[in-house]
Amino acid sequence: MLQKKICMLGGFSVGKTSLVRRFVQSIFSETYLTTVGVKIDKKSVALPDKTVDLILWDLAGEDDIGSFRVSHVRGATGLVLVVDGTRAATLAAALTLRERVEAEFGAMPFVLLFNKSDLADKWVIPDGEIDELRQRGWQIYLTSALSGEHVDDAFLQLASMVAK
Amino acid sequence: MHRLPKEVGKWIYNFFYNERSIAYVKIDAQLCIATTGGNIKHYGLSSLRIGQPVADQLEFMEGLLPCPELPYHMAMVELPSGRVADLHLFADDDCVWLLFLDATAERDNTQRLQQKAYEMTLLQERERQLNEKLQSMNEALRESQEGLQREYQRAETLLLNILPASIAERLKAREQIADNHAEVSVLFADIVGFTERARSVGAETTLAMLNYFFKAADLLSEQYGCEKIKTIGDCVMAVAGLPATRSDHAEALSHYALELRKAVKLERFAGEPLRLRIGIHSGPIVAGVIGERRFAYDLWGDTVNLAARIQTSAEPDEIRISDATQKLLGPDFACDPLAETELRGTGRVRMWRLTA
Repeated sequence: MLQKKICMLGGFSVGKTSLVRRFVQSIFSETYLTTVGVKIDKKSVALPDKTVDLILWDLAGEDDIGSFRVSHVRGATGLVLVVDGTRAATLAAALTLRERVEAEFGAMPFVLLFNKSDLADKWVIPDGEIDELRQRGWQIYLTSALSGEHVDDAFLQLASMVAK
Repeated sequence: MHRLPKEVGKWIYNFFYNERSIAYVKIDAQLCIATTGGNIKHYGLSSLRIGQPVADQLEFMEGLLPCPELPYHMAMVELPSGRVADLHLFADDDCVWLLFLDATAERDNTQRLQQKAYEMTLLQERERQLNEKLQSMNEALRESQEGLQREYQRAETLLLNILPASIAERLKAREQIADNHAEVSVLFADIVGFTERARSVGAETTLAMLNYFFKAADLLSEQYGCEKIKTIGDCVMAVAGLPATRSDHAEALSHYALELRKAVKLERFAGEPLRLRIGIHSGPIVAGVIGERRFAYDLWGDTVNLAARIQTSAEPDEIRISDATQKLLGPDFACDPLAETELRGTGRVRMWRLTA
């Protein structure tokens, strides 16, 4: 059995839990319920050549990045970095979290999700900034846990990256 | 370390065992489950299979073992059963113990507080965003207002360039403008041989020539309180005694004519100074604005026609004035009488040459 630990990383209220729920259970709730501690979900993903079980660690998004427990990422083989497209500061938060994880455990595959793409009128991340990050060769998705847009694409992409 | 009395130790043991629902899983060197115990049922884990890999049965253990940083603690992990546990991993010879301590109540309490705190922070962020938006909208509004103001002033300046100020004011008040003026003097001036010169010097010099002439005409009209009404090709039409009446309109316009003739001599175009033909006549006219979008302030009447005829009849460098105008000039002006001449459409006319 191929089983991979994946960590959801990002500031608070960016939609980590909602993305996992959308991906695993195909549901979305408007109610914001903050995650405390860790929530673990499992989803089997069928790739062309094999099936991989993703063990999704939904980590609490910290207000204060300094208090993030890097040790929770131990054993992870991939990261889902989540940014709230309506809050510019959450991009820096996601990138900082990735740096801290890489400093501790070395580089690992990741996808970068700009979430809440349904909130077009509140969107604050310029397209140019996203293009710039794409040019680094990063896998970037504009997702909406509400509509489900690109959510599966992002997780499937990461699954194929970690299953290699 | 001080040993606690047996009774206290027992009490603490019972307290923790019951309150925190202690359970354990012993993991062997092959990373398989060796034994389980304690209140394992509380966590919905009664069916763990001894001798089978731990990571296959407890998903959160995936990738954790072997773990170089034992003891290892994970706070408030929500298990598939919905229970929340603090997990402790510690080593003992060649096996690893995994302890479960219930933290459901603690997690729920923390969550309530955290929820309030985050909601507050989100509200503050939203408020800040809205404030910034409001500020930039105000800024944009102010800028467009300033732009509008600048545009208005530009339009105003342009309007004043083509209309006398008092006429512009009345026009803005949507008044129909057609005024009778009993006593004004009208002047026409054009460049001698303009068409031929324009052909020989080229467009650029022609434009410079006209520009120079019209600018001089504008400048002097301000100086002598006359109004430049319009230009027709290379011809300037100016008036004195308008829109405000003045008794010395003939003298003002004569000064204007003398100065204009002088002014155009100061510059040479293709080696030649400009020479003018100037004609003046005085009498009643009608002044008004025609058109609504591309309005023109203009003068009508026989006085205007005659002034134009006189101008065409003038010699190069001559300022030719009608008898009516000459009668209005004071002793400061020098005039030579001209022979009565037949002018087209008006018959024989008495005219004078204004010399100084």
